[in-house]
Amino acid sequence: MHYFSQLFNYDHPWSHVVIGMWHKYPNAHCSHVVTIDVVDRSVDPNTGIVRTERILGCKQKAPTWIVKLFGGSEDAFVREVSFIDPATQTATITSVNLSLSQFATCYETIRYSPASRGQTSFHQTAEIQAQMNLWRTASDKLENWLVQRFEQNAQLGKLGFSDVLRQLWENRDRQQAQTA
Amino acid sequence: MSQSLSEECTPLKRKYDACFNAWFEGYLEPAVSASVTPEQRTKFSQEKAAEFEKACGKIWQEYRECVQKAVKDKGLESLLSQARQSHPLKEAPPASHDPPRS
Repeated sequence: MHYFSQLFNYDHPWSHVVIGMWHKYPNAHCSHVVTIDVVDRSVDPNTGIVRTERILGCKQKAPTWIVKLFGGSEDAFVREVSFIDPATQTATITSVNLSLSQFATCYETIRYSPASRGQTSFHQTAEIQAQMNLWRTASDKLENWLVQRFEQNAQLGKLGFSDVLRQLWENRDRQQAQTA
Repeated sequence: MSQSLSEECTPLKRKYDACFNAWFEGYLEPAVSASVTPEQRTKFSQEKAAEFEKACGKIWQEYRECVQKAVKDKGLESLLSQARQSHPLKEAPPASHDPPRS
């Protein structure tokens, strides 16, 4: 498991940053994000919290061996859920990869809150975890398959050589019987 | 504004995004000011939630229908429902540094 974390301030007030969140893409610096769709959104009539669930489509630059080994395509998708709470002036955005998530997950959380002098603090954490259990299942499966193949081949080898021996010695016996 | 998963949803998506942004930009700062007391906050939130529904509800229905089909067509439906199961995220995660466990 790997962790990543960074903290810095944007030189803009909180409300400007949070309004800006919805205008982040398309962005020349993040050209890998190609599509964005809202799949669920609610405005809580009691708390005023705006919850938004989106799917981001990215052109992934995954190593080609991953794509070849595990299938998948060049498109990678991310699920993002954000909460904007005007009462506490907190915006929390979490995102996790949907593509290849059976092998590894990258779980990211971003939090924007007001800082001093009209600035906004940005706190980002990420947890990257390979799904070891699933790797183990996959390697167990591979081992079982290899054992089976080995057993089958060993069996075939035994049958094949038995035939060779039988034919060889049957012929020899026949020849000897004829010459005798 | 960016594109949708499916080209045919992009016009609906852009209309919906524009509708949301217009509402949200009028909402956010007054919502911060209206959060002085819980009563005030609830009254304001109810009004604004209704206003959002009235302004963007119809385009949202159209866009959602389109995007739900696109999610299915791209084979993302089961991945999304798995992700929703492991992290429902019905409420904002607490302000700890640890992401929720699956």
